Order: sequence, then structure tokens, then C-alpha cells
Amino acid sequence: MQSSATARKVTAEGWLEPPPLPHHYDTVENHQSALRFGMWLFLGTEVLLFAGIFVGYFVFRAYFPESFEQAARHLSVKLGTANTLLLLTSSLTVALAHHNAERGKNRNAFWLLMASVVMGAGFLCIKAVEYAEKFREGALPGKHFRFSEITAPGGPIFYVVYFFSTGLHAIHVVIGMSLLTWVAVRCWRKEFSPGYYAPVENAGLYWHLVDLVWIFLYPLLYLV
Amino acid sequence: MASLTHPAGAQAHAKHETSPWRLVLNWLVLCGLTFATFGLSTLNMSPGGHLAAALCISTLKVTLVVLIFMHLWHGEGSNRIVFVTSFLFLLVLMFFVMADVSTRFTLTNSRIPPMPKVDQAMLPDGMPPAMSSGGPRRTSGPVGNE
Repeated sequence: MQSSATARKVTAEGWLEPPPLPHHYDTVENHQSALRFGMWLFLGTEVLLFAGIFVGYFVFRAYFPESFEQAARHLSVKLGTANTLLLLTSSLTVALAHHNAERGKNRNAFWLLMASVVMGAGFLCIKAVEYAEKFREGALPGKHFRFSEITAPGGPIFYVVYFFSTGLHAIHVVIGMSLLTWVAVRCWRKEFSPGYYAPVENAGLYWHLVDLVWIFLYPLLYLV
Repeated sequence: MASLTHPAGAQAHAKHETSPWRLVLNWLVLCGLTFATFGLSTLNMSPGGHLAAALCISTLKVTLVVLIFMHLWHGEGSNRIVFVTSFLFLLVLMFFVMADVSTRFTLTNSRIPPMPKVDQAMLPDGMPPAMSSGGPRRTSGPVGNE
């Protein structure tokens, strides 16, 4: 059986011909719209996944306000701000990649997507530096907590929230980077055109959601 | 197969396009709001004030990302409903949980110490068996493995 990529022809504009339209869609627009709607539904479930963590944050903060304030002072605001700016910039490059892909400018889209992946890797490196410091200090969840500078009760609880929220977010960053790399490779092969660019758009939507979650995590963990 | 690269579809979508300059401008505003969040956190305000300010700016940033970067401004109504509904459900969850937490009185959150041991000899006649430290007494009679 031949793969669909090798069987596809190249159009006069130099794009790979899009995959065949599934028979249950009347038009390409109809198909793209359905793919987009499916992605938004998925993002809705992601919002509800992170909802639990945010609710946990607010409940534990209400119970242990002193330790949450003390712990926030021991997080590096500089690193948190740098990470926020990195993610916002990567969201811009992803949006620009989408803009280029829907015009068939695949090479531009490729470089913009790769820039986003590099910024995602930068985000993870900064996070790793922060995690290493927390492990060194003993600012850890549960029975592993041995950080003497947080004296108020509830310190280990803050680090449960911190590691769980940022850890789950970091997993999303890794998945997002994988998706962006996958569509970047397809951009390099000139698979996208004004009639077919849904994978770039959907991978971009996922990446923007990763950004959205961090926009809330940054002030709640580092600043408040 | 001709419809796959149908120009009409592309043109219809292009009518609602977001220009690259608008994307860059949005990014600049988002960076500015990030610094504003940071600046506000250094001001001398109450913890509640800090929290409210941070949440307001974050909500504004999220709105900008969703409307401009994620193209929901020009997006189909169905997509808007999905995302707005999921956020509303998040608010419902958060509101009721926080309403519960903030209206509890102290005793419901405190640990109640275990019942102290009771000297059986001190108990007056007719006290229920649950008052004793050993828990409910067994009824008399043989206890077999049935």
C-alpha cells in the first residue's frame, strides 16, 4: 500500500496536493470548519482539566494564605517573567506561521514554527533550572518538604500545587512542541495551501492554549 | 478534486484575515500587560487587591490571545460557544467551591480530638455502651464461627 504523501501530486504552485476530501463533506471549507470545531471542543475539555488545578490553588490558598505568600517570595520572578515573554513570543510566531501557511508560504511557516519550538525548549530549560533549585532547597511536596524558610503551616501544600500545575503545563509544552515540529516538517514538504492548512491551525490552537494556562499560572504562583 | 483548492473558499476566509501587523501589535500589548502585572505586584496593596489586579490583567491577556491569535474574533459562532461555555463552567465550579470555603466557620475545618478514655467504674448505671472506650459491647452469649 502506498502512503498518501508519496501518491500525491504537486500542484502548479508547487504545493503537494491536499489529501482527498472525505466523502461526507460537501466542500473543503466544510471539512476545515469541522476540523476546527473538533479542536475547539478538545480545548474546552483542556480548560476543564486545568480548572481542577486552579480551584485547588484557590482552596488551599484560602486555607494557608501565609505559606502561599511566603512561598511565592521564594520563586524567581525574573525566571517566571522570562518564561511568560518566551511563551507570548512563541504564540506570535505560531500565529504568523498560521498566517503564512494559509497563503501557501510553507517555508516561512516552517521557520516560524521552528522558532516557536526553540522558544518552547527555552521555556522548559528555564523550568528545569527552577525545579533544580527547588529540589536543592528541599522546597518539595508532602513528606519530602524540608525548606526551613517557610515557617507558616501549609508549605508542602503550596509545592504540591506548584509542581502539579507547572508539571502538567510542562507536559503540555512538550506535546505542543511535538505537534509544532510535526506540522513544521509538513510545511517543509510544502503540504499546505490556501485550500488545506487545518493541521497548522489546530496545532497552533493547542499551543495558544498552553500559553493561556501559563498567563494565569504566572501571576498566581510568582506574583500574588 | 478541483474543489480542494477552491479559490472561493480561500477568498471567503481571507476576508476575515488578521494582518501580521495586528498580530505583532497584539504581542506588544501582551508584553506590556505582562510588565504591568509585574509592576502591580511590587506595589503596596492588600493580598486580595493583588489577587484581583492579577486576575483582571490575566483575563484581559487571555481575551486578547483568544480573539486575535486564536482568531475567535472572526471565528464561527459554534467555536465561540464551546470556548465561552467551558470558561463559564470553570467559573461556576470556582464560584461554588469558593463560596463553600469562605463561608465555613472555624470548627468545620479544625480537627476534633478523639474521645478521651472513660473510666467504666465512674459511669452511672444506664449509660449507653458507646460511651465506653472499647466501642460497642458485644452481646452476651457464645460467639461462634458460623
